[in-house]
Amino acid sequence: MSDNWTNRLSEYLDGDLPASERPALEVHLQGCGDCRATLQQLRRVVARAQGLDDSPPAADLWPAIAQHMGVVSLDARRARRRLSFTVPQLAAAAVALVLLSGGSAWLALRGRSTGPTPQQAVMDRNPVITTAGTYEANPRYAAAVADLERVLARGRSRLDTATVRVIEKNLGIIDRAIRDAQSALAADPANSYLNQHLAQEMRRKLELLRQAATLTGTRT
Amino acid sequence: MLTTLATLAGLALAQQTDTTVPVRAGARLEVNNFGGDITVKTWSKSAVRIAASHSSRDHITIEASDQVVRVKSEGRGGPSHVVDYDFTVPAAMALSLSGVYTDISVEGSEGEITAETVQGTVKVSGGAGNVSLKSVQGDVTLEKAHGRIDLSSVNETITASQISGDLSAETVNGDISLVQIESANAEANTVNGDVVYDGTIKDGGRYRFSTHDGDLRVSVPDKSNVSVSVSTFNGDFSACFPIQLTSSKTKHRFGFTIGSGSARLEVESFDGDIRLCRPGQLSKDKERDKDHDQDHDQDQEEE
Repeated sequence: MSDNWTNRLSEYLDGDLPASERPALEVHLQGCGDCRATLQQLRRVVARAQGLDDSPPAADLWPAIAQHMGVVSLDARRARRRLSFTVPQLAAAAVALVLLSGGSAWLALRGRSTGPTPQQAVMDRNPVITTAGTYEANPRYAAAVADLERVLARGRSRLDTATVRVIEKNLGIIDRAIRDAQSALAADPANSYLNQHLAQEMRRKLELLRQAATLTGTRT
Repeated sequence: MLTTLATLAGLALAQQTDTTVPVRAGARLEVNNFGGDITVKTWSKSAVRIAASHSSRDHITIEASDQVVRVKSEGRGGPSHVVDYDFTVPAAMALSLSGVYTDISVEGSEGEITAETVQGTVKVSGGAGNVSLKSVQGDVTLEKAHGRIDLSSVNETITASQISGDLSAETVNGDISLVQIESANAEANTVNGDVVYDGTIKDGGRYRFSTHDGDLRVSVPDKSNVSVSVSTFNGDFSACFPIQLTSSKTKHRFGFTIGSGSARLEVESFDGDIRLCRPGQLSKDKERDKDHDQDHDQDQEEE
């Protein structure tokens, strides 16, 4: 996908692209599945951001992620409802979307509980599935991960022990990948592949946690 | 003797449910089975046959309307025990199959399929339109499907063959093998495993294959028009055919164009090797590697 077009998609979405350039972009979009996918992602991000403007969440997850990923402040963009993203920023935005939906899953699941039992309270203090220490640089991401881990800890008794082991094992595999990517990025911070790879693994971890949290609501 | 008595007791408790319900075109089958098998085959009749083997303590519930045939099992005061279902359905019937300790098998379907299990395999032959197969702790296998394909596992492998349409495959700890694929939009990624893609590279298509700790093998047919982007951190790149780099940021990140470059292929492996070959050569490579690994193992044993 051409970088030129990528950088113009947000203008197109905002209606700020000059009328003389719109037809050319629309023709390009017809033949560029990648651009259409990027545009679709942008629409989702904009829709989410606009929703947040109207009803601010208790904890805005974006700023810390944006800071972690080297993205400029989103607040100013929201204020004028104009969003311009590069591909690495979109990768970060994808993680943010997963965080938001992960948080929603947590809230939905938390709503079902009637308060911790003594056994659950013990598990809260000693969560079985934990990945502490991986995301010090991104407290809000860490908080979202910790929230989902707490859901798993509470629902652990409803999961088959083999399933718990598999989830722990695979979270460990993802954590190793995240640490590898972080170490590599420390040596080469401008490497776009490593940035995208890290974002992908972070997203994957949240998705697995969310999937596991959902499983606690089923009978295993 | 004890075994014989237990077997006889089991036989006494075993129960068979076998019934057939008529269905209209467009109806879907929804099955939830906590533990056991769900096997689906097809026929040309406008009816669904439901055969189930289960304990007499479990009750099979069948709800049939114009839109849906819904089947589930319940135990007395809790989850049902093991229930093995055999369904025979119209080929075009949409299927929604789910379970926990459940193996799911479908053969001959020409409709949409959603299949999800936690501890069990999903094996499907056929399917059209949206086909979504997921397991946490089991292999996911699909063949002879077309449409929009979504395959997911966590701790096991994904295998797909003779597929046409958009294809997405994702696992964490397992290999992904996609062969005989005809797609303009294919994506596969794993964290700890190899990825093989042996299929078409269509003009204007989009292909992305990635792994963290594993090797990638991707086929690029002769006369393809594709822009290739290669990224590794600790791996090597090789190709079975000559290439000419058009951009190179480092020895681990570079790109090249074949033909007009209208399709886009991204191959990424953090800690593994990437190899591009012609269709059909990948399996030879794999066999050679297998032989090499066996020789290596033998050498080690001899030492």
